[in-house]
Amino acid sequence: MDDSVLTRDHARAPAALDTRLESLLLHHEIEAFNARYAQALDEQRLADWTEMFTDDARYVVLSRENFDRGLPVGLIYCDSKRMIHDRAFALTETSMFAPRYLRHFIANLVVLSAEINGTVKSRANYVVLQVLFDRPDATLHQVGVYYDVFRREGGALKLAERRCVYDNLLVPNALCIPV
Amino acid sequence: MAWQRVASISEIDADGVLGVDVDGSPVALYRLGNEVFATAGICTHALALLSDGFVEDGKIECPLHQGQFDIRSGKALCAPVTEDLRTYAVKLDGNDVCIDMERPAANAAPGSNAGDAIRTAAQEKKADGRKIAGSNMQSDESLTQRYVWPAEGLTRIPDWVYTDQTIYEREVEKIFHGRTWNYVALECEVPKAGDFIRSNVGPTPVVVVRADDGSINVFENRCSHRAAEFCRELSGNVKEFVCPYHQWSYDLQGNLAGVPFRRGVDGKGGMPADFDSSQHGLHQLNVKSHRGVVFASYARDMESFEDYLGPEVLKEFEATFDGRKPTLLGYYRHTLPGNWKLYHENLKDPYHATLLHTFLVTFGLLVAGNRSLMLADATGRHGVMASAKSERKSVSSDAKKEMRAYREGMSLAEPRFMDFVEEFDSPWSVTMATIWPNLIIQREMNTLGVRQIVPTGPHEFIMKWTMFGFEGDDEEMTRHRLRQGNLMGPAGFLGLEDNEAIKFVQDGMQHVPGGQHLVKLDPAVAAGTSESLISEASIRAMYRHWRVEMGL
Repeated sequence: MDDSVLTRDHARAPAALDTRLESLLLHHEIEAFNARYAQALDEQRLADWTEMFTDDARYVVLSRENFDRGLPVGLIYCDSKRMIHDRAFALTETSMFAPRYLRHFIANLVVLSAEINGTVKSRANYVVLQVLFDRPDATLHQVGVYYDVFRREGGALKLAERRCVYDNLLVPNALCIPV
Repeated sequence: MAWQRVASISEIDADGVLGVDVDGSPVALYRLGNEVFATAGICTHALALLSDGFVEDGKIECPLHQGQFDIRSGKALCAPVTEDLRTYAVKLDGNDVCIDMERPAANAAPGSNAGDAIRTAAQEKKADGRKIAGSNMQSDESLTQRYVWPAEGLTRIPDWVYTDQTIYEREVEKIFHGRTWNYVALECEVPKAGDFIRSNVGPTPVVVVRADDGSINVFENRCSHRAAEFCRELSGNVKEFVCPYHQWSYDLQGNLAGVPFRRGVDGKGGMPADFDSSQHGLHQLNVKSHRGVVFASYARDMESFEDYLGPEVLKEFEATFDGRKPTLLGYYRHTLPGNWKLYHENLKDPYHATLLHTFLVTFGLLVAGNRSLMLADATGRHGVMASAKSERKSVSSDAKKEMRAYREGMSLAEPRFMDFVEEFDSPWSVTMATIWPNLIIQREMNTLGVRQIVPTGPHEFIMKWTMFGFEGDDEEMTRHRLRQGNLMGPAGFLGLEDNEAIKFVQDGMQHVPGGQHLVKLDPAVAAGTSESLISEASIRAMYRHWRVEMGL
C-alpha cells in the first residue's frame, strides 16, 4: 500500500478512520476475552472463570426451546457473581462426575452495540466438544449462541451478562462444566 | 420342540462347518469323523458367524477375534471369548441331520445355557417379531424358562432386567402400553383450544391437544394412512392436523376429516366406495387429568387414577398439586445412557442421597439423621421419598463422622438460594414421587418439576423435565424457584450426579455375563415402606410388582 494514500485519506477523514480502528480494537479485545474464557473452562480453572464476571453479572445456560418461547428456566441460572462463585466452588469441591476433557470454540463474533459508558453488547457462536477419558471419541456436547453484555471495570472488559442459548434439543447426559 | 431336519450330512465337509438357518436362528453344524455336532451360529463375544470360522482339533475358531470353543461341549476355550456357546442335540436319520433346538448336546458345558439363552431369545424375536408381541402361551413359557430370577429372591436383581432387548420390548408391551396411567403433559402447556404439545407414551410418540370443547385428547403421532409422524413442531396451536405427505387431515379429536381425491379423478382411482372415514381416525388413547396433570393409557378399562395411585401416594400427589394452578417455567431435556428403571430405583434409594450428593452434606443441608420416609404404595410400583430440612446446627457429631463430605465452615456465598419458603401443607420440605411407569414429581423445597421418562431401548432413555410454579407467584418467588433450580436437571448440583451415577451402573453391566445387583439393605422390611434412609425395601417392592406385570 502507498503510504501517501493512507496519509491523504487520514487527513481527509480522521474521525472515520478512528471509528474503524476503535471497532477493530474492540472486536479484537472481545475475541481475546473469549479466547481466555474458553481456555479457563477448557482447563477447568473455574475460580479464574468466576473472575471474568462483574459483581452483578447474570449467567444463564438455557435451551433454544425455552429462549424462543420466553420461558426462563436455565440449566444453570445465576443472577449474581455470588451464585457464579458457588457454582464454581461446588463443581470443584463437591460434584461427582466422570473425568473429561472439554474444548470450547467461540466464533462469528458480532459486536451489536458499544455505548459511551463502556457497555458493549455482542453475540458469538460457540461449540463445546467433550472427550471422556475412557472413550475413544470426541462428541459434540453443545452448540449455541452467546448473547453478551460487557462492561469495563478498571479498564478491563468483564461480562455483565452471558446467556448461553444451546440449539441441541437434548443435553447428552449431563452438563458438568459451564459453557 | 421336536427334532427337525436341518441339513444333509453330505453338505458338511469332513472336519468342516456349515451354517444353517433354523426358524430364523443361525446354527452351526460340524462334522468330526463320523459324528455331527450343532451349536449356536453366532459367537458369544461379538456378532460373527461361526460358519465363517475354522475347525481344528475339535475346536471352532471365530473368524473375527480368534476366540475358540470346544465343538462337542460349547465350552469357551480362550480369550476373548468367556461365555460358553449354546449346543443342540443332534441325531442322524440316514443322511439327514436332525437337531432339537430345545435340547443341549449330551456333553454340553454347564455354563452353555443361561447366558446364551438371552441372545437366542433376542434372535428369535428379531426373526419373527410376532412371536413375542403376540404373546401366545408357548412363548411366554419359554421366556420364563430363559429369564430366571435368582434363587435368593428380591435381594438380587439380575443384569438382564436392565440390558436385554427382549425384556425391553416386553416392558413396552406389558407396562407402557399395558394397564398403566402414563404421564403426558401438564394442562398449563395446552391452555387454549388448538394448543398442542408432542409427548410420548413409553417410546411411542403422541400428540396432546386441547379441543374446542376444552377436552384434552391424546393420540398417536402417526398418520392412519402411511404412518408418517405428521406433527413436527414440539408445541403450537392449530385448527386441525394435516399430514404433510398426502394431506390427510384430522380434527382436534383425532377423527379423520379429509382424504384428498377420495373419489379419484375423472371417475378413476380413489378409495373404495365403502371406505369409512370413521374407521380410520388417529389411534386415540384413554385420557385422565388430575389437578392439572394429564395421563394417558392404551388400556380402555383402566382403574380410576385415584385407585391407581392408592390413598397414600395420592395424598402426596395432592400435597404438591395442592389446587393452585401450575404455570409453565420451561423445560430441560436430556438423554441418559442407562436403563429407565434405574431412574425409579435412584429415587427409591434414599441411601444414596447423603453419600453421592456431597453438596447437600457439605453445606449441612441434609444428613442421614434427618426425619425422612421412603413410602411405597400397596402394589410397590409407586413411591415417595420424603425428608424434612434440618438446620445446620442440628447435625450431630455421629452423623458428621459417618460422612466424609461434611466440612465445618464451608458456606455458600448466596445462601438464600437454598431457602425453603413454606408453601405446602406437608411435614416434608422435599418429596420425590415416583409414579409408575414414567413420572417423577419433584418437590425439592421450592423448585418444582415433573420428569417424564421416555425409554428408547434397554440401554438409554430420554428425560423431559417440565418445571413449573403456581399462579399467584410474585416475581421474587419465580426468581427463587429458578435459582433453586440449580440443584436439579442435567446441570444441577444433584441432578448431574444422579445422571452420572446411573450411567456408571449401566457401564458396569456391559461385558459381565450373568451379573446381579445386591439390594439387601433394611432386612426388617421385606418390601415396602420404610422410615429409614438406609433402606432398599422400596426397590424390592418395585421388582415384586415388575415381576407380576412382566410375568417373569
